[in-house]
Amino acid sequence: MNERFKKINSGLLADRKVTQLMAITAATFIIFSVISRDIFFSSANFTSMAYQIPEIAILSIAVMLSMLTGGIDLSIVSVSNAAALVAAWIMTNKMGDSDTLSTSWILIACIAGILVGLAAGAVNSIIIARLDVTPILATLATGTLFNGIAIGLTDGVSISGLPEQFMRVGNGTLLGIPTPFVLMVAIALVVGLFINRTTLGLKVFLVGTNRQAAQYSVMGDRRVIAWIYLISALLSSLAGLIIASRTSAASPDFGSSYILLAIVVVVLGGVNPNGGFGTITGVILATAVLQMVSSGFNALRFSQFFYLAAQGAVLVFVMILNVVLERRRVSRSISRSLRS
Amino acid sequence: MDFKKLLLRNETALIVAIVLLSVIIGAKSPEFFTLANLFDILRSSFVQLLFALGVLVVIISGGIDVSFPVVGIFSGYSAVVLMKHFEWNPGNILLPIAIAIGIGIALGALNSIAIASFGIPTLIATLGTSGIFRGVMLTFIGSSFISDIPLALDKFATADLLKIQPLEGTLARLHVLIIPIVLITILVSLMLNRTMFGRSVYALGGGVEATRRLGISIKRTQAKVYMFVGGISGLAGILYVSLQRKANPYDLYGSELDIIAAVVLGGASIMGGYGTVFGTVLGVLLISLIKGNLILLGVSGSWQRAAIGALLLIGITVQAINESRKAKSRRVSTRDEVAQ
Amino acid sequence: MSTLLSQEYGVENIVKSFGGAKALSGVSLSVKSGEVHCIAGENGSGKSTLIKIMSGVHAPDTGLIRLGDKSFSHLSPREAVREGVQVIFQDFSLLSNLTVAENIAIPTYISKNSRFFSKSETKKIAGNALDLIGVDLDINATVADISIASKQLIAIARATNLGVKMLFMDEPTTALTRKEIKHLFSVVEQLKLRGVAVVFVSHKIDEVQEICNTITILRNGEVVADGMMADFKRDAISEAMTGLNISETHIAPPLKITHKKVIQVKNLITKPTFSNISFSIAPGEILGITGLLGSGRTELAEAIFGQYPIDSGEIVVDDKPIKLNSSSAALRAGIGYVPPDRLTQGLFLEQSILRNLVAVGIDQYQSKGKFLSKKRLSEAGEKWIKDLRIKTKNPTNPVTSLSGGNQQRVVLAKWLAMNPKLMILNGPTVGVDIGSKREILEFIRDRAEEGMGFLVVSDDIPELVQICHRVLVIKNGQISKEFDELELDEEVLYGELS
Repeated sequence: MNERFKKINSGLLADRKVTQLMAITAATFIIFSVISRDIFFSSANFTSMAYQIPEIAILSIAVMLSMLTGGIDLSIVSVSNAAALVAAWIMTNKMGDSDTLSTSWILIACIAGILVGLAAGAVNSIIIARLDVTPILATLATGTLFNGIAIGLTDGVSISGLPEQFMRVGNGTLLGIPTPFVLMVAIALVVGLFINRTTLGLKVFLVGTNRQAAQYSVMGDRRVIAWIYLISALLSSLAGLIIASRTSAASPDFGSSYILLAIVVVVLGGVNPNGGFGTITGVILATAVLQMVSSGFNALRFSQFFYLAAQGAVLVFVMILNVVLERRRVSRSISRSLRS
Repeated sequence: MDFKKLLLRNETALIVAIVLLSVIIGAKSPEFFTLANLFDILRSSFVQLLFALGVLVVIISGGIDVSFPVVGIFSGYSAVVLMKHFEWNPGNILLPIAIAIGIGIALGALNSIAIASFGIPTLIATLGTSGIFRGVMLTFIGSSFISDIPLALDKFATADLLKIQPLEGTLARLHVLIIPIVLITILVSLMLNRTMFGRSVYALGGGVEATRRLGISIKRTQAKVYMFVGGISGLAGILYVSLQRKANPYDLYGSELDIIAAVVLGGASIMGGYGTVFGTVLGVLLISLIKGNLILLGVSGSWQRAAIGALLLIGITVQAINESRKAKSRRVSTRDEVAQ
Repeated sequence: MSTLLSQEYGVENIVKSFGGAKALSGVSLSVKSGEVHCIAGENGSGKSTLIKIMSGVHAPDTGLIRLGDKSFSHLSPREAVREGVQVIFQDFSLLSNLTVAENIAIPTYISKNSRFFSKSETKKIAGNALDLIGVDLDINATVADISIASKQLIAIARATNLGVKMLFMDEPTTALTRKEIKHLFSVVEQLKLRGVAVVFVSHKIDEVQEICNTITILRNGEVVADGMMADFKRDAISEAMTGLNISETHIAPPLKITHKKVIQVKNLITKPTFSNISFSIAPGEILGITGLLGSGRTELAEAIFGQYPIDSGEIVVDDKPIKLNSSSAALRAGIGYVPPDRLTQGLFLEQSILRNLVAVGIDQYQSKGKFLSKKRLSEAGEKWIKDLRIKTKNPTNPVTSLSGGNQQRVVLAKWLAMNPKLMILNGPTVGVDIGSKREILEFIRDRAEEGMGFLVVSDDIPELVQICHRVLVIKNGQISKEFDELELDEEVLYGELS
């Protein structure tokens, strides 16, 4: 009995941030439901949130993975757009004049998009894991390059009018739940299993905590980092396809504000920007919170720029809170030891 | 001695690149070598150079700032809005410049609170504050395009130092800003090399702990750094507004990549502790060349970003390879003296 | 020449803890102007903390700092410098991206609160400082490019330049040659004449005995003895530092007679760090390697672990020649390595004890489905916590909750879990309490009895005498002498080192 209790207790304590987040999610939900009873608290709004949360969540998970290793992937939006553009281009070219396209061609287009995304991720992996360039600068550069190539090839014009079957994924439902949402849950489960239950996953946490110790512990730190940027690119590509499917368009400049949003989500979700700690559950909850704020502000007729300011404020506030709490924790342990 | 050689190599590489590019462009379109075009390149570099000098100081200190374009346009736009609100219409531009610089410093102070007082990682902090600043500006200060800016600012756009009319072709106009910009550039260089603040910035980039042990106040140095970049960005912003002859709050957004690329190409190391004004000037010139004159090569403007991204990528890759080669050779040479 | 009135500098009843571990409990000492004082203590005795408190890097929990006729409850680094307290740390605190001249001169600018910085003035200040200590260096060189010994001298020049009243030197002689040590001592004599209070913090008693007037001995954060240096015999000092009467505790197990060799190293060369290194280790044998800092001992150890390049030479493990060009090759060959700095190299501080314990062998804890078997992980954790007697109530606690000695056991366990043929230990008991030290040495002995080979790199001579079958002394990258089990004696080893 004692063993079970200890396990539950330590599990909860370890996930203290998650329980706090659940409280924040609930609180946000209640506040907006009360303030905006008819617009926010409506099935229309919840449905629309359910369609928009997945792409942000998946992008945020990508950022979380790179952050876990102590780096950051700033190229996620460029990669996501690149994958979407490749898929969209193939689809629209094969569609010709009709509105529909065979499922096999859609699949081929998607796979092509993912492959291009993976190629981009490979560039990141080589530069960061092999050449030891700092991730911030590396992904800033590759993100710019990928974005630049996309703009160059499309002249800045988006590709629209995607096949109907493809759009059904982004706008349809699976057993009553919006399809993207189901995809998100599936991806979250797979990534969660990956980082919590595989050897590579454990190595990710260790490499992010102390890279040097990881080298001395011979765990193939370079390979771990290389894999993470590949997976991040894969997730970004999937997010890109979902976005294209939902909006029926692919453009080189879509979602430029998503990088800030993803980082806010990840920080709010309890991921340590220095590496080594973070949970998928936290990220999903944080995405929900931020989406509620967005639709809540919308319902209250606040401008989208107010939402932008709020994102920045949440980011800075949560970071400051983390620092203050950490300082208090350290000073408390010092005074405790003085007393003993 | 080694790194100086390297730095020299970096700057010579830049000069070679600039000369080469100019020759190639000039060969294709001889109008490149007209005085009018050259003066134009200068004119378009002024604002960029001011931003770049601010970013240079931040990068030398070991940090990164992505909020500077927003600080710039916030300061410039707010100065105009303020002046129109109070119907201040002085004869010269000193008032708007003072207001803009003041606002810039204030915004920079907010950055320094997050970074210096709370120790938040610089990328995340400035990403957050850029969201806050942009959101606040577009929500509360105004989101409309102002074309009737105060007269003094408007007239300043055409304040030319030299007007040279060649026998054929367009009028070559050298803007009067060349003088203050050159002065500021020299002053910043002096500040970095001849003041304790400047050396403290380099020290900070060289090692936080060693700097602290020297008795240099890390917090105060960082605060000054971010207020400096805030102020100089404010200046850049108001000059931008003047030269464009309009105040558009949506401008300058996304230009951080170009500036950071210029500074990094100019030889500043993202790890901190290295960088020169001369290198930054060359970097800005190179980027300006690419941005303004790719068209003369027959390359569509859509490829600008890709070109800059590619250059940045090549630049940081070369830097990284050099870094590791240097580390290896250092290991050899520093051991020599001990093995007596 | 001295115009300074005789002042006293020191501390009174300093107490300092770090998150639950007491570093100093009620330490008092005082040094007069013109006196050279030695603070002796092993690693972990609290001497580093004491210096940091006196120089303003840390604030004491309670106690006073006395500088002349002023008293302080704590200092800021700037205040400390202003009051004349200067420290030369072991890592020299130099800024590698700046020049030699700037590194020497900057503190002068800071103390004068100058705003402006002149290149010519800087060169003059630096030149003067270097002349003062009789050293000739290229002041325009970037510090990143110069040798360790030169960096030491720059740090000294920088400190002596500032009108210092109390100068701390933290293990100053570790990287200096005999000639440079003599140099250093002559400078110290100059400082004495000028009325500076000099404090040598060192555990190399032989080196400092000739220069120090008075001594304070720290052990486990307390003052165990102090007084005039002349009143202390060498044995008494080491006994006070370690609390052990060493000579009776040689605990290396008897060696089984065998021709087998766990590892044979033939003519290892990596210029200019080490050359002509040849030795072998039999199963169950504990070979010690010692030498001054900078002698190449750590690089040699890391080369055998694949973390440092090898230019030429042969390595044979279990009769199979191998190429050790990476640590994975070393691991595959059955070689393990406990690095010298557990905080930055050995442990994942914020992670749990369990995760730290399994960090090397993660791949072997897979269950059938390629997933991590949580059961096997926790079983392994329990086994090692028991085997190495790691004191903890809960393996999921962060490893920072452990004391230094227990943390070191975690690093050791992490590698023992891989059952290596050869364990390389670099400084295995640094910063570890006496009890843990003893137990760790016993664990080594037990494993050696079972046939594991050990290579122990250490500058803790008593420890090497305790546990090793043989000891190699490395000087300037070459093996200068080999000591057999019967020849192992501290005095002789210390002698060979200097």
